Parts: sequence; structure tokens; C-alpha cells
Amino acid sequence: MKIYDSIFRHSIYKFLCAFAALSVLLTPMISQSQQETPPAPSQPRPARFPSPVERTLPNGLRVVVIEKKDTPLAVAQLLIKNGGEVDPPALAGVAQMTASLVTQGTATLSAPQIAETIEALGGKLESGATWDASIVNVDVEASKLNQAMTILADVVRRPSFKDEEIERLRQQTLDGLSVALEQPGTLARLVAARVIFGDTPYGHALTGTPQSVARIKRDDIVRMHTNIYRPDNAVLVVGGGVRAEDVFRLTQNLFGDWKKPNETLSSTPVASMTNSASAVRSARVVVVDKPDAGQAAVVVARKGLRRSDKDFFRGIVANSVLGLGYSARLNQEVRIKRGLSYGAFSSLDARRDVGPFTASTQTKNESGAEVAALIVGELERLATSPVVEAELAPRKSALTGNFGRNLETTEGLVNFVARLALQGLSFDEINRYVGNVQAITGEDVRKFAGARLDAKAANVIVVGNASVFLSDLRKRFSNVEVIPASELDLNSANLRRASPNAAVK
Amino acid sequence: MTRSLVLYAAIGLSMGLLAANFISTAQGQSAVARLAYRERKLPNGLRLISLQDNSTPTVAIQVWYKVGSKDDPEGRSGFAHLFEHLMFKETKNMKSEMLDRLTEDVGGENNAFTADDMTVYYEIVPSNYLETLLWAEADRLASLSVDDPNFKSERDVVKEEYRERVLASPYGKLGLLIEQKSFTVHPYRRPGIGNIDELNAATIDDVRKFHDTFYRPDNVTMVVVGDFDQKQLDAWVDRYFARIPKPAATLPRVTIKEPSRTSERRYVEYNKNVPLPAVAVTYLIPPASDADAPALQVAETILSEGESSRLYRALVYEQQLAAVTGANADLREDTGLFVLQATMAGGKKPEDGEQALYRELKRMQNETVSPAELSKAINQLVTSQLRERETNNGKALALGSAAVVQGDASRANSEIEQLRAVTATDVQRVMRKYFSDTNRVVIFYLPESMRGKEGE
Repeated sequence: MKIYDSIFRHSIYKFLCAFAALSVLLTPMISQSQQETPPAPSQPRPARFPSPVERTLPNGLRVVVIEKKDTPLAVAQLLIKNGGEVDPPALAGVAQMTASLVTQGTATLSAPQIAETIEALGGKLESGATWDASIVNVDVEASKLNQAMTILADVVRRPSFKDEEIERLRQQTLDGLSVALEQPGTLARLVAARVIFGDTPYGHALTGTPQSVARIKRDDIVRMHTNIYRPDNAVLVVGGGVRAEDVFRLTQNLFGDWKKPNETLSSTPVASMTNSASAVRSARVVVVDKPDAGQAAVVVARKGLRRSDKDFFRGIVANSVLGLGYSARLNQEVRIKRGLSYGAFSSLDARRDVGPFTASTQTKNESGAEVAALIVGELERLATSPVVEAELAPRKSALTGNFGRNLETTEGLVNFVARLALQGLSFDEINRYVGNVQAITGEDVRKFAGARLDAKAANVIVVGNASVFLSDLRKRFSNVEVIPASELDLNSANLRRASPNAAVK
Repeated sequence: MTRSLVLYAAIGLSMGLLAANFISTAQGQSAVARLAYRERKLPNGLRLISLQDNSTPTVAIQVWYKVGSKDDPEGRSGFAHLFEHLMFKETKNMKSEMLDRLTEDVGGENNAFTADDMTVYYEIVPSNYLETLLWAEADRLASLSVDDPNFKSERDVVKEEYRERVLASPYGKLGLLIEQKSFTVHPYRRPGIGNIDELNAATIDDVRKFHDTFYRPDNVTMVVVGDFDQKQLDAWVDRYFARIPKPAATLPRVTIKEPSRTSERRYVEYNKNVPLPAVAVTYLIPPASDADAPALQVAETILSEGESSRLYRALVYEQQLAAVTGANADLREDTGLFVLQATMAGGKKPEDGEQALYRELKRMQNETVSPAELSKAINQLVTSQLRERETNNGKALALGSAAVVQGDASRANSEIEQLRAVTATDVQRVMRKYFSDTNRVVIFYLPESMRGKEGE
């Protein structure tokens, strides 16, 4: 049976299984005649997480293994510690293209041969760039891991970047963009990134724009690969039904002779964008008028924090109160109380440098302004009124529950550990995570929201049929900028294409 | 295809791929562990399937109701799905959203989905909450007392869901068209999400009737997988579920049969937010319980799983006609659909996409697939089953779907053997049997700008 043919009560988050380190007592029901109260929970059993072990090869490649003995599967993820943030400004999307192309041919194997070989094993080989990282991932039965990792090593080390494959990917990317840019939600998130980060590295679209993708040349891709795909800028994380010693031996065979270039690894280019987000001018209210949009996408966004920020746990707990999961405030106010959306959520994407805070939803065009005001109002409330324990404890449970469920699958475990390695954090964080969350108080949340999520610095982006919400929006917000979708330019912070006349001048 | 595999084997050896590298030698076929479940039936007809696994302190509970979108009342398209949302509102003993208090608030999660043939509610919780959730599931099976304001507010949510899936998403409407145009008389022709007018027509009285008619113990298969003690689970299920009476009325069942198709039918639709033309071709196929189902699943995998699949290789990679392709053996309790799709690459014609899809079907009909290609498909299906079964919820899904859609929970354990038993001749036979020109419906879903221009 295929679940994707079905329709769900709420959109499916990225986690699918459960966690149980917590015991939160149920609020007793008000007992009326003949009403039953639910049976109380018994004592919880503690959850245990596997511990990663690691070695660093002489060439600088860091190898991390997580033995998970009860699974017949294995996942090997090679993480390059740079991604979209190192795209040159005019070449948005080059890190993404580079990562996508590594699986499309090596010195000895064509793209079809790579796919045939991996898929004959029943495995999946995927690659792509994200912010701060480029990832090549293989997912296969544990008994077939060494054949799969042989391919993984080949594609990472010896991609051929054939012109034919570059042109094929360019066309696929352009086609993909033409679809993505029709989605009001995608468009709103891309506009939000430009509004928050301006022309600094996190401001552009990870997959580029039709204009930048058209400009990318083979040399740009080869340069990107040479600069960032090197053993001293990489981490290999392998998890599942494997033995650490076997993986270390295999890794030595496959990656031991991967030469570290003589040039030192330039300190990551992203370091230069420190606090770039704060340099951007004051909050904007941007409407992208898309008359044929089936819904209005509403995004409230501002700069968030770095993963290394001392306030990270205060931040994620504050976000969990506001917009993580079904029962957080945004979904309560927008969906459950008012029926204005299928779901309203927020996220605090902590990156190597300051990442975005984003609250987003989709609603019928007519309610675009009302929903934008509701979200901003919730941001204000978080900063001004205290969060009581009866609300805070369940939100913290939702957060730690997600964390635990993520670690139940091999893929989730590898992703989490790879993320820690990428950010240079200790693996002890796996065992400290729940305690760190639990330590945050309601007052911490309020203070964090006041200092770091101030609604006055939040940008509002609405993409939809402006004719039905614009006058309402102008009543609620000042300085509303309206950009017709046909004039939207994602290549610059200005967001507006120069008019034809200006181009002539 | 065989040739490139052989070629790679040779290269692999020259690259120094030595036996010593092998982490464990993979000899012969890999096994998918049997699900050692237990099955019992309560006197009121409720079926319990349970699988004890104490390796993590969590448990998954799934309640499968044999009622789906095909059971939407006349003039109430979308009702079964709307009803599913309402099952999270008031009951005799619970306030609205109490289920969220018992799951999300304690580190668990819940969700529910409505498909053509069934509605499934599930919770994944710390195992010390198992009894609490069994009580809650029994409570909403026994009674639902949603009031009018809650009903209307949740109906608005479903209308937003419709707008998000169907109106705001560029190819959302194509999914609806596939259902609407593929069936002529069977209620499968009404998409599960419904439409705004019929959702507006629904009343709270419909809600009561629907609960009375379909939400009864003899229409339930409950699956519990995870950290519990079998005797304790059985006792709790007896305590909370056995007291719910089985109604005297017989359960209404859809008996209408979709007739075989006798000639090709073609449809063209346009929409403003469609950037690239898309083609969908559907064929009627037999029910999930049919002996041909495994061969159809293998055919689906050969056609569409991964970049080595035939559709990707031909339409996307070699001919560069399509941006995206897909094949879906949508097996149902009754007559299902095999759907082929291609979203065209920029500047390519949907007519060419359609012909390219037919060329791949013809190849499957004229030549048997090689042993290597067949074994690749089986390996892909095995790995995907292993992935699904890594979690308690995934195991419960496998058992529930075998029990409810195929009518027998043990099919969860024989599925891989049945897939392995499929031969190249079987694949060729089902390709010839079902993929005829007269058994197809063709839908073109095009940008508004192409109106009046196609065929030029």
C-alpha cells in the first residue's frame, strides 16, 4: 500500500517513530458524572542511544561509525563541510550542481553504470548541497555496504563532470525551477531568504535561479569540487548493522590514498559573513502579487541564530512553544481555533553562521493579511507574556520526542551524528540533548523571544492574489512593498527586476 | 543493461575491489525477518494483531477502519476524510484534541490518513502510555460528540487542505483528474479530498450517521507493535474494547464493479499555474489480492524505481523528453489503476511523451526482462521493505495493510517470497494482459497558454 496516495490529518513531519525518556503526568480531566478519566501512565523505561566511535585518517578525513546491531541496513554519508554558502554571488546554485553531478559519471563509470550498480544492490545513492554542507549518501543492506561504499568513494573522489551531463542537469534544474517558482510557498521562502540575508551568502536560492543556472560553466563546477571536496574538509559517517573495525578498514582502503591538496584549506568563506544578517536594513513587508495563486503563502521571517550560539537550546525551546508540531501556538491559533489553514509552523534553522527563523503557512487568498497579523501577534506574545509550566512541559516533550524518533532509524541516526560533526559539536550532545532541553525555563523562553525574536525586526512576506488581501494588509502593516510576480527578481536583495527602460539606459 | 553490469564487474576488480573488503559476505538472497505477530478476534468482531518487540521503550498503535473515500455518502464527496479529522474532536470522555495531549505532549505523535478503502489512525508513544491510548482509541470508537462550531471550523481546515493540495500546487489537480477520469461508475471516481461545494453541504447529522454506520468493532483491525507484555496487552484490549457492542445492522459495502474498458478515452485540461505539460496514462488492473499483483509490482519497480529504471533512463536521461516520470501500481481492494506519468521537459511536446511511454510498454511486452534486471527489482523491493520495517510503526503498517487490503495479515510475511517467485515471463504476461490500447485513459494536463495550440 502506498501512503502517498492517502490524505493525512496533518502534514507529515520528518520523523516517524517514538521516544520515551519522559514522564509527563496527564492533566486530570474534569470529572463529570459517568465520565471516565484516562488510565495513568506506568513508569517509563529509559531510551538508550548507540555511541559513535571515530578515527581520523592521516589525510584528515574524519570517520565516524555508529553500530546499530539490530538492523540489516546501513547508511554511509560523506559530508563535505561546505555547501550553498560558498556559491560565488553571480553563480547561485553551483554547489548544488556540483553535488548533483558527482553521481553522474566518474573517470571509469558513466552515470547509467553508477545507477545500475547501486540499484542492483537494492541501494540508493543520493547527493546534493545544503547550507554549510554537500552530502553524498548511500543507503543499502549492511551486507552490501562495501560494494556501495566503493561507488561512494569513486563518485566523491573522481567525478568526471562531462559537458553532456552538465547540460542535462542544467535543463533538469531549469525545469525543476519552473515548477518550484509556481508554488506560492516555495516562492515565499526564497523571497524571505533574500529579505533576511540580502546579498550575503545565505540570501540566494540553493538551487540557483534560471539566470544564475544558465551562467554556470564547467570550470566553475570543477573549481568548486577542487576547493571543497578534499579529505581534510570531509566527514564520513557510517551507521547501521556494521562493525566499526570493518568500516575503518574499508575506509582506509577506499579513502586512505585520497590526497590532501598542498594548499591549506582556506578558512571557510562563510566566516566572512559574520553577522551579515544584522547589516540588512530594517524589517520589510513584501507582497508578491501572483493573481493565479490557489492560496496565499505567508512567511514571517528574521535572522535567528548560529548553531554554536550559547542560546541554542533556549532558542529551540522557544520555537517549540511557538511553532513546532501540531499543538504549538501557531497551529493552535491559525488552524485549530480559526480553521484558516491546513497547518502553521515555525523553524529556527541554526547554521554555522546566523540562520533564519521562519514562521510559515498557507491560507485562502482572502485571509492572507489576517494570518500575517496573527503570526506577528504570536511572536509579540512570546516576548511579552510568560510561558507557564503547563504549556512549556508538553512543548519540551514534543521537542525531545522528535529527537528520539529521529534517532530510531539508521538514516535518522546518521543524519543527526553527521550534523553534529559538521558543526564541530561533541557526540556527547546525543546524551545531553534531553537534559539541555529540560533545563530551559519559561522565563528563558520569554527573554530569548524578547532579545532574539523581536517581532519589530520580523519581515512579512505574502505571495498570493494581492487584489483580495492587499487593502487589509495595508491597514495592518505600514511600508507594504508590492512586486508583481512577473517582475520578481530573486537574484538581488532589491527583489525587483529593473524595468525595461532602465535596462536600456 | 546486462552488458553494463558485466562491464562494471570487470572495472570493480581492476579497482582493487577485493574480497577482504567485504564487511560480511552476502551469499545468496537476503532475508526479511518474519514478523512473529499474533492475531485474535474479540466476541464483538474486533480483530487484534499484535507484535511484541521490547528493543525500544516505544509502541505503535494503529486502528484500521474498513471505510474509505469510496464510502463517501452520495453528494458528500470528501466526507470520509473530513470525518477522519473530526475523530480528534469531543467524545463522551475526551475534550477536543485530547488525543494530542496523550501523544505529542508526552513525546509521542499521532496522525491519521484516509485512503480509498480505509481510514487509519495511529499513535507512536512511550510504551508506558500504551494503556492510556488503548482507552482513548476505544473511547472514540464508542462515541463521538463533536459540536457544530468545532465541526465547521474543522471543515474550514479541510477546505484549506483542498486549496493547498489541489489549487496551490501546480500538478495538484492532475491527481484528481486521474481518479475522476479513470473510473466511470465505481465510487473510486470521486477523489478522497472532495470538493468545496460537497464539503459545504456536509452537516453534523451526516457525521453522526457515518459514525453509527461504520465505526463499529467488527469493522476494526487494531495493530499494536512494540514494547508491551502480551498478556497485559490482551487484558487491556479486553477491558476497553470488549464492552463496545456490535450493532445489529449489517455493514454497507460498495458492491458496484467498474466495467472493463472497451476503447481508449482521452481528456485534455488546462490550468494557469502549470509550467510544463504533463501526461498521465492509466490502465485498470485487478485488486491487490489478485495473483497478478506481485508481477505488477515488479513491473512498476522495473519501470520507475531509481535512475536505472526504464522510464527514467529512456525519457529523462537518453531522450531528454521528460523532467519527471513515474509508474505507480495503485493496487486497491477492488479494481485498481496502473498509472504512468511524464512531466515534459521544457519545450517538449506531451504527444512525444505519450509515445515514449508506449515504446517502453511495448519493450516490456515484446522482450522478457533479463535475470539481472529482475533481480535488481527484487533487491530494490527488499531494501525498501527493510527500510519500512525498521520502526514499530512501519511494521504495524505492513501488518495492517496485509490484513485489511489483502485480507490476510500473513501476507506481510509472504510478500517478498511472492515477489521473488515472479518470473520474467510473468512480467511479460501481465504487461500484455493489462496494457492494451483499449484499456487506457489518457490525460493531458497543460499550461493555459497551450489552449487551442496543441497538435500544431
